Amino acid sequence: MSPGLKILLAADTAGHTTGYYVVARGLRDAGFEVVLGGHLVPRRIAEVAVEEDIDAIGYRIMDGAPEILVPMLMDALKAHGAGGVPVIIGGIVPPHLIPRLKELGVREVFTPGAPLPAIVEWLREHCSV
Amino acid sequence: MFDAQTVAAVARARAEYEAKVAELLGDAGSAPLATQSGLPLKPLYTPLDVPTLDYLAEIGFPGSSPFTRGVHPAGYLTKEWTRRQVVGLGTAEETNARLRYLFAQGQTGFSVCGMGYQSYDSDDERTVGHLGRGGVWIDTLADMETLLDGIDMERITLNQIGSSLPVFAMILSVAQQRGIPLRNLRGTIQNWVIPGGEGPERRGNGSIDIVEFCSRGMPLWNHTSISVRNIRDQGCTAPQEMAFGLYQGAYVIRSLQARGLGPDQVAPRISFFLSAESDFLEEVAKFRAMRRMWATLARRLGAADPQSGRLRFHVQTSALALTAQQPLVNLVRSTIHALAAALGGAQSMSVNSFDEALAIPTELSATLSLRTQQVIAYESGVSKVLDPLGGSYCVEALTAELERAAWPIVEELERLEDWEAFQKIEQWADDEGYRRQQSIDRGERIVVGVNAFQEGSDGLSPEALPLFEYDPAWRDKQIRRLARVCARRDVRKAEEATRRLADAYRVKENLVRPMMAAVQAYLSIGEIARIRQEALGEPAFAGPLYFGR
Repeated sequence: MSPGLKILLAADTAGHTTGYYVVARGLRDAGFEVVLGGHLVPRRIAEVAVEEDIDAIGYRIMDGAPEILVPMLMDALKAHGAGGVPVIIGGIVPPHLIPRLKELGVREVFTPGAPLPAIVEWLREHCSV
Repeated sequence: MFDAQTVAAVARARAEYEAKVAELLGDAGSAPLATQSGLPLKPLYTPLDVPTLDYLAEIGFPGSSPFTRGVHPAGYLTKEWTRRQVVGLGTAEETNARLRYLFAQGQTGFSVCGMGYQSYDSDDERTVGHLGRGGVWIDTLADMETLLDGIDMERITLNQIGSSLPVFAMILSVAQQRGIPLRNLRGTIQNWVIPGGEGPERRGNGSIDIVEFCSRGMPLWNHTSISVRNIRDQGCTAPQEMAFGLYQGAYVIRSLQARGLGPDQVAPRISFFLSAESDFLEEVAKFRAMRRMWATLARRLGAADPQSGRLRFHVQTSALALTAQQPLVNLVRSTIHALAAALGGAQSMSVNSFDEALAIPTELSATLSLRTQQVIAYESGVSKVLDPLGGSYCVEALTAELERAAWPIVEELERLEDWEAFQKIEQWADDEGYRRQQSIDRGERIVVGVNAFQEGSDGLSPEALPLFEYDPAWRDKQIRRLARVCARRDVRKAEEATRRLADAYRVKENLVRPMMAAVQAYLSIGEIARIRQEALGEPAFAGPLYFGR
């Protein structure tokens, strides 16, 4: 258990929020501090992550192209000196893209059907304050 | 429905039957059964479950109030449901190609998604990695001309997903270019009418203006398509979906009274956009119960014309029920959803594609969705009989049960302030969505391939599927196109239209005509948003595409 783990949840669009809010609640109920960033472009995600001193970023991609948005996010994090903040992707991600995202430094990808306990466990195991 | 003697005889026989079942089940008995929404369910229904059902008053005949059995006297015999798959990808060119393709495959109507969801243009930072991926991108009327090129607007009806007034004005403008009188134009706009942002306060977003404009001059256009399908996909229950939709329908009728339009001028062109989930019997009962409730509610709101109480609906099958695991299995799920919609008497349908939890549908998966509808329509035989499940003890009892469950929710919402009610809807749906996920995580609710039967043939795995590939060149193409349109347009006309639209925002006149002038001068959606912002001194509000957020 990592008490006080502060997680930023960002989304690539404003709509289609079912999974976003379900995950947010699941993390909150598991004792994490959740910052709801809502719809943010990659540049803003990095800025907010720094401003809020975030321990891990959960990036929900639903309508956007992960292969374009994720490299933008990783570059923006590095530019802000936050390259070490773990990034987890959730949402609609075609399976063949997952290895590419991991090569870019994404730590884990959770697609629809991922159980909440699995997400919580993963964060506890891999992220620390 | 049954006389006292029959009821007594059935009661005696049922007691004997139940004794036999109890013996088979032994001491443990059976666990209480429930529908997906948590309504009580019995293992067997008899006349005793509908003993006082009044056939003429509660069920009646198709085409007559309370429309439980359907809104058309002849059902699908004279008018098949519209095959209306959702389309929207890339620029107008790619979407037009997909529309033409699907039309050649037997599609009979279109829902187009993506148009005007944003209040900025293609050259904005926010379109990177997005443009054309979550629907078709539209900047100006030139894009709408391309999108509708070769589509016979008098024969194929268009459903505009979203609430964008500029997009609505573009559709009307293309019809005018083709010489089609607006009075004769058929189609639908989803059009969120919500408090504050687009409510009767006329803050300049145009939803109420659209309803008013259509109610006065476009009698065949469905000016509001109450979409509770998305909130159902947030995880809410069937009675909540019904109640949220009915409440919103009532809200639209009430809102238009401030514009001097009575219920009978507004209600006949309100339609509904519903979901179809996996609990088959509950869903069929839901459609029937909702029709009956709308007939009652319209009367209660002062509608005298029986046409006002006809609940016509489009179904888009559930996406929440679809899984990323073993995606081909989604074909089976969507077929169940679509069959429930057909048996429930849908006027129009869009079947979700099996790969939707992984990517935008490919041409193949979109075609299979259409074929699903065609097999149900032409092979299953269910479209030959009107309301074929009507009269089933179970379905009639469930219809009544759903109605009983939904009314208190409608009444609770009606007691709240408008804004509060809309917030409440969001909150309840979020609560249910979370509970739903927890019940799947705990294994109480089985989802095949997700928390049960996860192993399977390699062919079932998502890796085995050809998936849609996003083309980033769409964005570059669209930005060039926008620049070209802006360079070629008549500057004076654009300036005049800008002034006219700004004035319309300031004096709060109905915005539809000035917006038509604006789009006809080839002003872009981003420019129009800035005109609005300057005129009203507040940020542009694109209108929530998906309820609330």
